[in-house]
Amino acid sequence: MTKNNGNGNAINSSRTPAVAHDCSCESNPLVPTLCEIIGITEETGDVKTFRLRGTDGQKPFSPMPGQLAMISLPRTGEAMFSITSQGEDWIESSIKRVGELTEDLHDLEVGDILGVRGPYGNHFPVEELKGKNLLFVGGGIGLAPIRSLILYVLDHREDYLRLDVLYGSRSFQDLVFKADLFENWPGLCGTHITVDAEESCWDGHVGFVPNYLEEKAFSPDNCVAVICGPPIMIKFCLDKLAAMGFSKENIITTLEMRMKCGIGKCGRCNIGSKYVCLDGPVFTLAELDELPDEK
Amino acid sequence: MDNKTITITKDDLATAIRALLPAYNVYAPAGEGERLAFAALDESRLGAINLTGSPVIPPKELLFPRSESLYTLDPETGAATVPEIAESTLIFGVRPCDLRGIENLDAAFLEKGYVDSNYAKRRENTTIIALACVTSPYETCFCESMGGDPLAAKGADVLLTETKAGDAFTAAFQTPKGLQVKLLWDSLAMDCGSAPAMTEGSKPAMTEGSKPAMTGQHNTLRVTKPDDLPQRLMAAFDDPHWAVLSEACLGCGTCSYVCPTCYCFDIDRESGAKEITEYRCWDCCMFSDYSRMAGGHNPRPTKKERLRNRYLHKLAYFDERYGMTLCVGCGRCIAKCPASLDITEVIEWGGGAL
Repeated sequence: MTKNNGNGNAINSSRTPAVAHDCSCESNPLVPTLCEIIGITEETGDVKTFRLRGTDGQKPFSPMPGQLAMISLPRTGEAMFSITSQGEDWIESSIKRVGELTEDLHDLEVGDILGVRGPYGNHFPVEELKGKNLLFVGGGIGLAPIRSLILYVLDHREDYLRLDVLYGSRSFQDLVFKADLFENWPGLCGTHITVDAEESCWDGHVGFVPNYLEEKAFSPDNCVAVICGPPIMIKFCLDKLAAMGFSKENIITTLEMRMKCGIGKCGRCNIGSKYVCLDGPVFTLAELDELPDEK
Repeated sequence: MDNKTITITKDDLATAIRALLPAYNVYAPAGEGERLAFAALDESRLGAINLTGSPVIPPKELLFPRSESLYTLDPETGAATVPEIAESTLIFGVRPCDLRGIENLDAAFLEKGYVDSNYAKRRENTTIIALACVTSPYETCFCESMGGDPLAAKGADVLLTETKAGDAFTAAFQTPKGLQVKLLWDSLAMDCGSAPAMTEGSKPAMTEGSKPAMTGQHNTLRVTKPDDLPQRLMAAFDDPHWAVLSEACLGCGTCSYVCPTCYCFDIDRESGAKEITEYRCWDCCMFSDYSRMAGGHNPRPTKKERLRNRYLHKLAYFDERYGMTLCVGCGRCIAKCPASLDITEVIEWGGGAL
């Protein structure tokens, strides 16, 4: 089932239902496996990236770009996070300190143990994106889920055409994944970085992401935009992308909602009849338009 | 003679249930008035069985407990231990609407990719003896408007129907699990020798086209539910009437707790010195923190959005996802809401007044 955007290009984020259940919990999908923190990167003052490996030395699971993991601390609880990266025997999640659990996670050190279950949800449509130009638009911690796709695409570089990353945050200090933005990615893809306000340590572009997006005037021709960030940024960027000629089928975003089970049962992450944990988190704008406005 | 039915006199009911006790954990409505509840039966409680009403808390709690441990964690090692769920359970006296509620839970917990292990194990181990409603148990029940039949329970293992004379039940055995019950009752009939407790096939079986009529009080509450109600309600998503409908709501959650189809749950943990218990418990979408995220954003910030989500889940979303309405017309939420909210008003509004 694909939708046509009029140019003969069709993108649909909802592929086969998430029946495959590639985790090591054996029978009960709500039981986490134990992972050890094998690395911590301080991205910003309130974002840390945790590299996790199973206590058995194995990778907990192999997610597709955009999929989610439920991460837990025995005495605090669990919450859903996007998986931003993966390696041979690890997965990585970048976590912003916003509440009780994330506060406790930020206190952890390398060698500490936590619980992980997943992977959950659908994923970015990496097959359908082949042979296309890709424009990644991120704001703040919103680059974390998109990064899983950027890294995948760079790993399969020959399958995709022109790549551009447009990313911004409140300040230079608040830019996440600085090593990628300033060392690893330039040369491999277009990098367009902006911060909200002038500051002495920053000589790059200054301004909000939606305005910078408009300024850059990317061609919508054979291009798919993948966007994630604060709701207000997404709202204005969608207007800009529409004005630039991007169809709703060629704009993809990834959503967050409060989740408890992660397997489409507990009820709270619904938008209409869809569950973000199972049918999402990745949706095209065309698909979102079909759902009630409760995002 | 239909060897799939037998008749049990009311005088022999306790004997019949006693015969089940060695094989199952038996639950049946027991107690009086507001305290009528599905209770675990043993010899001492057989006299308390009360089949005249329908408990306020529906039998869903025996398949999907109010609160249950998912696993326990050793705080030292973090290792998880999952509790065993293996006991054979029999629920006696499930009303047809509540059975349809269980069929809703089956869809939610067993379909669409993942199987909920705890629910699946309990369901597998449970035998259901339904009780036809020859008398409407609630003044507010409206199962027929929601496509139900007070006298039929297709999915039940055994269906009991009070005879016209009112002094006995006809038992129809509808599944292999039901025939297991019949085996226990058959042996009992032999034990009783000259005064058999059961008479095999002595009453006409319930067959299609010759269903017995409701012999007791039959409620007249009706609501018009058009086939396109989901589409009609979705078209009214932005209607200001949702705010009017929600005005009186206290957000107390009573509607969810008494609902035979509500299945949303919370997961939390109890942290002890020696053991950490991850449990799940019933939740209610009318609670303000139900969908509130870390950082404070809430996609359903006021009771208007929450009530709209609740009714649309019941009358539109669940239908879209699973092909059935998530309301069976049991009438409990109408009877028990302290603010007199009434789902039939929403159905009427969606069906006509829009």
